[in-house]
Amino acid sequence: MAPLIEARDLTKKFGAQVALDRANLKVEAGRIVGLIGPNGAGKTTALRAILGLTSYEGQLTVLGREPLRERTSLMRDACFIADVAVLPAWLRVDQAIEFVAGVHPRFRRDRAVEFLAKAQILGTRRMRELSKGMKTQVHLALTMAIDAKLFVLDEPTLGLDILARRTFYDALVNDYMDETRTILITTHQVEEVENLLTDLIFIDKGRIVLDTSIEEVANRFVAVDVAADRLEAGRAAKPFYERQILGKSELYFENADRKTLATLGALHTPSVADLFVAKLSGGAA
Amino acid sequence: MNTNLWLIRREFWENRAIWILPAVFGGMLIVAALFGHVNLPTLESPNENRTFGAAFLVAFGLMFYSVMSVYATWYLLDSLYADRKDRSILFWKSLPISDTDTVMSKLFVALIVIPVVSFLAADVTALLAAFIVSIRSRAAVGGALWQPDLWLQMQVLWVYAVVTTAIWYLPVAGWLMLVSAWAKRAVILWSFLPPLVLYIIERWFLGTNVVGRELGRRLTGLPMVALSPSGSKSWHIDGASNTLTLPSSVFHFINPSGFFSNPETWVGAAVGVLLIVGAIQLRMRRSEI
Repeated sequence: MAPLIEARDLTKKFGAQVALDRANLKVEAGRIVGLIGPNGAGKTTALRAILGLTSYEGQLTVLGREPLRERTSLMRDACFIADVAVLPAWLRVDQAIEFVAGVHPRFRRDRAVEFLAKAQILGTRRMRELSKGMKTQVHLALTMAIDAKLFVLDEPTLGLDILARRTFYDALVNDYMDETRTILITTHQVEEVENLLTDLIFIDKGRIVLDTSIEEVANRFVAVDVAADRLEAGRAAKPFYERQILGKSELYFENADRKTLATLGALHTPSVADLFVAKLSGGAA
Repeated sequence: MNTNLWLIRREFWENRAIWILPAVFGGMLIVAALFGHVNLPTLESPNENRTFGAAFLVAFGLMFYSVMSVYATWYLLDSLYADRKDRSILFWKSLPISDTDTVMSKLFVALIVIPVVSFLAADVTALLAAFIVSIRSRAAVGGALWQPDLWLQMQVLWVYAVVTTAIWYLPVAGWLMLVSAWAKRAVILWSFLPPLVLYIIERWFLGTNVVGRELGRRLTGLPMVALSPSGSKSWHIDGASNTLTLPSSVFHFINPSGFFSNPETWVGAAVGVLLIVGAIQLRMRRSEI
């Protein structure tokens, strides 16, 4: 099966500044992919290109379409929440439902209504009267009621308190995700999505520095806790990143021989957040 | 209901001034008719009678037309800017609606819906005002206001005004939408600054005034192109005696063949189409500010 999203040499420049620099990436169906990078890494630009919101250079296919030229038809099969709270202040909740039901052939009104009833949000409220968390709930209700193959979320929980964030991700995983759907999510808060993801894409300075599945991470990467007296031996094994914590060192290796490393200290698989830091500070390994 | 109808409905939700503004303005006129000082002419000849009846209706149409023009201008300037400013464009663009449909729905609202609503409000207001004035004044005046054929003729005039305005002002609307789709801030400033700069540069360096003349012609020339020339046998204004003679039928007043055969009409419309295509292209490529 062809990948859902395929980008080859995706490039986007804003004047002299290069937001995306020949980025290559692939997203397969049925995955929850985290596009992770620091602020200004090019995450949002990549998503904008994928959603047909901006022009770009290079090749890009999303659900078999060319996004910028075929955004209208793409949006029948894909939906997105770009940041929270972009619903217009004047819009009423019931108008929003009516409108989306009117223009979107795959919108299931009953599902949206049910979701909103659960969140106890009245249809007569205007967006300007709702809290940021409630607005997110409305947006989520509208979007999750669409039978889309691809759901793109750009920093979906920015500016939400911890409670609202938790509700958001719980709803996403429990009420929405199944094997027919693919979710692409960007965030700079890795910890928040770590347990959700099946795939990781790290992006830094417009370049893709890692594109892998979570299962593969355990095979490919290993971190070793090395005591001070073994540090020289550890460094000789060429870690791509080194970090000092509480008097001992943590060395990160990629595709290294585990038997050799085991003699240095305890091995463990790095968390996504640690791997992210390691990968971005250590440079491409 | 198809997407285009939903888009128009959306405009009514967002811009309630489309109907509130003419309603409030109409209300003010009604109040004026109720409590204002009525100083009406003595109508002696049938011709005076007729002219007074027509002038009464035209006055209402003109008042609403003026208010409508100001509002439509503001609406167009805001049309592709407001949702970029509050970033809700990201929501609208997540729906399967083409940028062409979006831009066209807003253009349609500005050039057809707002004027039609406005003229309907003018009719209702004129009707109520005629009723009030008839009661408050002499029978002759009352009679002059109730000429069914005049009322019907005025509807023809309104339709003609809507159609010719939409075509004549297409380049203006296109320009306003282009600015609205492009500007990052200060849309009002951007709407008149480039033409003004062009005008100044031309005056300064070339000494000619093509830009100024063409702009002036476009902004104020519609009556000259769309209506029969004043002073013709059908109608005229006499400044000395301060009288206005109107034709017996609205068909002598309007000049459709002149309007539709005038190259200015169609050159302007072509420029308008180009500007609108530009606005659509910008809309495709620009999202939030």
